[in-house]
Amino acid sequence: MIEVKELRKSFGDVHALDGLTFSCPAGQITGLLGPNGAGKTTCLRTIYGLLQADTGAALIDGIDAQQDPLAARKKIGIFPDKFGLYERLTAREQVMYFARLHGMDSTRAAAATQQVLERLDMVAIADRRATGFSQGQRMKVALAQAIVHQPKHLILDEPSRGLDVMSTRILRDLLRELRSQGTSILFSSHVMQEVAALCDQVVVIAKGKVAAQGTPQELCELTGESALEEAFVKIIGTDEGIAA
Amino acid sequence: MMQQIKIVWLKELKDAVRDKRSVMAAMSYAFFGPLLMAAAFYMLISQLTSESDVEIDLKGTEAAPAFTQFLAERGIVQRDKPWPAGREPIVLEIDPEWADKIARAEPVAVTLTADFSAQKQRADIRRVEAAVNAYSSQLGSMRLLMRGLDPRLMQPLDLVKQDTATKGSRAVLLMGSVLVFMLLSVFFSGMNVAIDISAGERERNSLELLLSQPLTAQQLVWGKALAASCFAMFGGVLSVILIPLIFKFLPLQNIGISVDIATAHVFLIMLLLLPLALLATALQLFVSFRAKSFKEAQTYISFLLMVPMLAVFGVEFARIKTPILYYLPLTGQHQALLDIIKGENLQYAAMGISAVATLALSGLLLALIGRMLRSEKVVFGL
Repeated sequence: MIEVKELRKSFGDVHALDGLTFSCPAGQITGLLGPNGAGKTTCLRTIYGLLQADTGAALIDGIDAQQDPLAARKKIGIFPDKFGLYERLTAREQVMYFARLHGMDSTRAAAATQQVLERLDMVAIADRRATGFSQGQRMKVALAQAIVHQPKHLILDEPSRGLDVMSTRILRDLLRELRSQGTSILFSSHVMQEVAALCDQVVVIAKGKVAAQGTPQELCELTGESALEEAFVKIIGTDEGIAA
Repeated sequence: MMQQIKIVWLKELKDAVRDKRSVMAAMSYAFFGPLLMAAAFYMLISQLTSESDVEIDLKGTEAAPAFTQFLAERGIVQRDKPWPAGREPIVLEIDPEWADKIARAEPVAVTLTADFSAQKQRADIRRVEAAVNAYSSQLGSMRLLMRGLDPRLMQPLDLVKQDTATKGSRAVLLMGSVLVFMLLSVFFSGMNVAIDISAGERERNSLELLLSQPLTAQQLVWGKALAASCFAMFGGVLSVILIPLIFKFLPLQNIGISVDIATAHVFLIMLLLLPLALLATALQLFVSFRAKSFKEAQTYISFLLMVPMLAVFGVEFARIKTPILYYLPLTGQHQALLDIIKGENLQYAAMGISAVATLALSGLLLALIGRMLRSEKVVFGL
């Protein structure tokens, strides 16, 4: 369970988050939807304690990431906004590094790494160095890093950018599978199809506030539109920053 | 706590060892530096010891063949080539009435014309003077002998020169510069790794994810610092081993210098460099974690390299002599190394204190970096 309570965060005069409140229950996929600059990435960074909120709190299973960031981070898997690979390490070594950082001993880390590489269909590239990897392959490595320690919470910042159709399908299947295992998943996106296809709950944010919240159906009914995209435009009141 | 540091350390080490650029940087300084230095010393030695002939303009030699012969034996010969531009000729003119005056036992004028202030010609002029004086006293002795007198009459005093300069203490002059090399090797060798794991991490966008993992910024910084220190130390060890080895092949005995570092001292020097390697890395990480790219970090670090150079050369040239130097980071190691080379009594207590001071300063710097990495302003460059 991820709870965000009354988060406020300003950078100088810009109010990036302005009293943001929502929660992601276990076993559900929550989509964070918003135009560019709405505060999606700021919100996610605050949840894993990289940014300090001015007021409010982000709780992961009741643990405040501002108070005890290490304990909070142990419980989450992160797929960040920017992810870079270590070009001189192989895919397996990178994933293993993160497994070890999450406190697994080397045998357990090796087993968990093998498992996640198989799950993501990456065995063929597992022992290649990252230098020549395609964008999709890089995404997969980053995804493997995020879930190798089998976190109960998964936070993804625009996970599907740069993925081809096959990889997108793998990603969707993976997220559904993790949901059925009781993981609470929070991801940000501005790809409507993906949100509509995956999410149990959509949180639309604009200007650092929650503009609307509910299942994709509820949002459509709320606005009287049949497509989520139209609903979204109506909710935020402008069509800026949308990718269909 | 330690486990996390170890994980980061091993990963960074593996990453750095695979980076050919970092390995080359660590090796090249330790390898080529001493080699270059050895070449320079080799030139210097051969220049200092070569007894090449002094070629000057000799005038009136036909009047005094025996004297000319004497001069030639001492390597002073007639010059055939013209004088190079900017050099005053050295001219030795012999009185044409040489034979008559010698026969009458009158003083004969031998005129030496030269620019006595010219630095480059000073050695040549001195040799000519010495040769003329030697011939003069030889002739004087012969005259006394012929008159039945002991030539020693003319030498009431005998100045005996005893040079107390040991070969070791003369070596200090030369080794001073070599020492600086050893000290700086720890600064140069780990540099590339230090940049790669700090500014490089930011440049390839992996810093954010790494900072979101369940480890403290402090653990992260220590793991990284230890990895870069290993490289710094690798370069340090290499140069400490290579420098005495290379100097064994130089004909240093020709200029009265012996460079002989006992094996125990080689290990002592390595031990002294150990805390310095950590300090060097801490300083480098401190500046390059602030940089946004590899290039930017390189610029900062090249300025940073001035610090150890200034500290070491500054002390050397300003001839600062205060015991405090023995206890401070960097200068403490420098003084200890000087003592080792000079063969003086080693101040182990001072070495210990400066090592602790160095480690404390490194720890402080690393703590500051850790704090910096918790600041969102630094991490995201806001």
